[in-house]
Amino acid sequence: MLSRQATAQENPAKPFLKVSGEVTTPLTLYADDITKMQHSTVIMKDRDGKEHSYTGVAIQDILERAGVTTGKQLRGENLTKYLMVKCADGYEVLFSLAELDSSFTDRKVILADKTEGAPLPNGKGPFRLVVPGEKKPARSSFQVTEFVVKFAKE
Amino acid sequence: MSRMLQIICFIAVMVCLLSAGGKVYHTATPLKIIYPDYFGNRIMIPADNPTTSEGVYLGRMLFYEKALSANNKISCATCHQQSLAFTDGKAFSAGVDGTLQPRNTMSLANLLWVRHFFWDGRATSLEMQAATPLTNTHEMGQSLEVSANKLQKRYTPLFRNAFGSDSITGDKIVKALAQFERTLVSANSNYDKYLRGEYQPTASELHGIALFYSSPEPTRHSRGAGCGHCHGGPKTFSDLFHNNGLDIIPKDAGREKITGQAYDSGRFRVVLLRNIALTAPYMHDGRFTTLEEVVAHYNEHVAQSNTLSPFLQGNSNSVNGTSLDLNSQEKRDLIAFLHMLTDSSFIRDKRFSNPFLN
Ligand code: HEC
Ligand code: HEC
Repeated sequence: MLSRQATAQENPAKPFLKVSGEVTTPLTLYADDITKMQHSTVIMKDRDGKEHSYTGVAIQDILERAGVTTGKQLRGENLTKYLMVKCADGYEVLFSLAELDSSFTDRKVILADKTEGAPLPNGKGPFRLVVPGEKKPARSSFQVTEFVVKFAKE
Repeated sequence: MSRMLQIICFIAVMVCLLSAGGKVYHTATPLKIIYPDYFGNRIMIPADNPTTSEGVYLGRMLFYEKALSANNKISCATCHQQSLAFTDGKAFSAGVDGTLQPRNTMSLANLLWVRHFFWDGRATSLEMQAATPLTNTHEMGQSLEVSANKLQKRYTPLFRNAFGSDSITGDKIVKALAQFERTLVSANSNYDKYLRGEYQPTASELHGIALFYSSPEPTRHSRGAGCGHCHGGPKTFSDLFHNNGLDIIPKDAGREKITGQAYDSGRFRVVLLRNIALTAPYMHDGRFTTLEEVVAHYNEHVAQSNTLSPFLQGNSNSVNGTSLDLNSQEKRDLIAFLHMLTDSSFIRDKRFSNPFLN
């Protein structure tokens, strides 16, 4: 284990987002892949109390690419599915799929790779979840590394 | 084949299956681990290793069993001593071959809620974790097969009671150890008694609790130490990895060694603070010998780097301050709270003590 140190420091791995679980196509998306997807900009009030603009890919687009049940398919038992968002530091937040779907809500949750036109700062990027319209930014989590879609078990 | 022969064969096969089955489907006594509601139920017990009284008893024996090491001189308890909340007071402990471990021995308590074990979170279950010290050449230094062989005969009845068959395997050794470790619940400190309404903290302790949980907000004249962001809640740990500002360039890259990602450089697990007054020296490399030094670190010496946790940036009790700026009374109060986390019944609990001595 410890011998991996040298290689990791000389040749750091490229950050990526993994999408797995109840998907038809598991994905590993690198920054290059994300750049190529359609981007939109949303405004969110941050912990500093000020509004900031964030640009990125709609979560729904990423889920569709992985073949997750969205739009018309999001009904019946599929409404008991959730998305668990996991971050590099171990932080985890949860959404029901309907919260992220344009057939249910006008709110657009994105995976941002830019803020105010520039890459995200150290500690927050390369990918940050941006959830506009929430009173606290606690679900707008930093350094997102994984999306896991599952059925709730209760 | 004649019909008669078919029936005889069928009966013979059934008899074999049933007698084998009789050995496999034993009934070890399920053990419910008792813990306070305020710890929550997000616990980790793998489906293939339910906790039983017999399994836990075997695990306790194995935890103290020196035959599990290559030179028959060390057990888990050599490094993880109950009287020191399962640490050994050393910055780095020596293994069978005398080599020092690369990191400080971790205290063991409330492991039932942990999802990523070790300072860098590289093991995802206690079963997986246990195989590391057992087989690492610089720790106990013996393969699981050799360990299983050395336990033959002497331990056969204990394995039969716990797992229903006489076979002793590496898999069962780590399962029993994990079962024992899950029972190491520390929930009887003065802080717990306070949470249950059984203890009235001193003024200094109460102030320490408030500082621990509050973030500094100088513009609102609200003072705090901001520890709760990471170590918050009665469990006093979180399954998160943070760089808590020990070094500008870390000697030990921590979590980065596991993920290979530059953003994980110098990140380590937010470990529990329970029994912290008993588990010096502190941090993954045992660099601080006292809690005073730990508090001085957070107060005055947080090292800036690209991966320093955002929770430790711009954290000051002074407007535009560059350090936490607690005064000496506040530091003493914070330490008084840390002492409240000592659980003296945990370190004397007979269920966790060396069974070879009673
Ligand atoms: C030579 C000293 C030594 C021995 C012997 C030893 N350990 Fe450890 N233990 C350590 C050190 C050092 C760490 C931290 C290692 C790291 O993070 O890389 C540790 C970490 C652990 C952890 C992780 C705790 C957490 O919160 O993640 C557990 C559990 C544990 N040991 C159990 C055991 C068991 C069970 C045995 C016997 C099979 C054992 N140890 C034997 C030194 C030792
Ligand atoms: C940003 C998250 C974070 C904050 C805030 C934080 N800590 Fe920590 N703490 C950690 C991490 C991570 C470690 C392990 C670091 C290491 O060893 O490299 C740690 C380790 C410790 C240890 C040593 C534990 C041991 O077993 O060696 C103590 C004591 C401690 N912290 C106390 C505090 C106090 C008191 C505060 C508030 C002043 C505080 N911490 C604030 C993340 C944090």
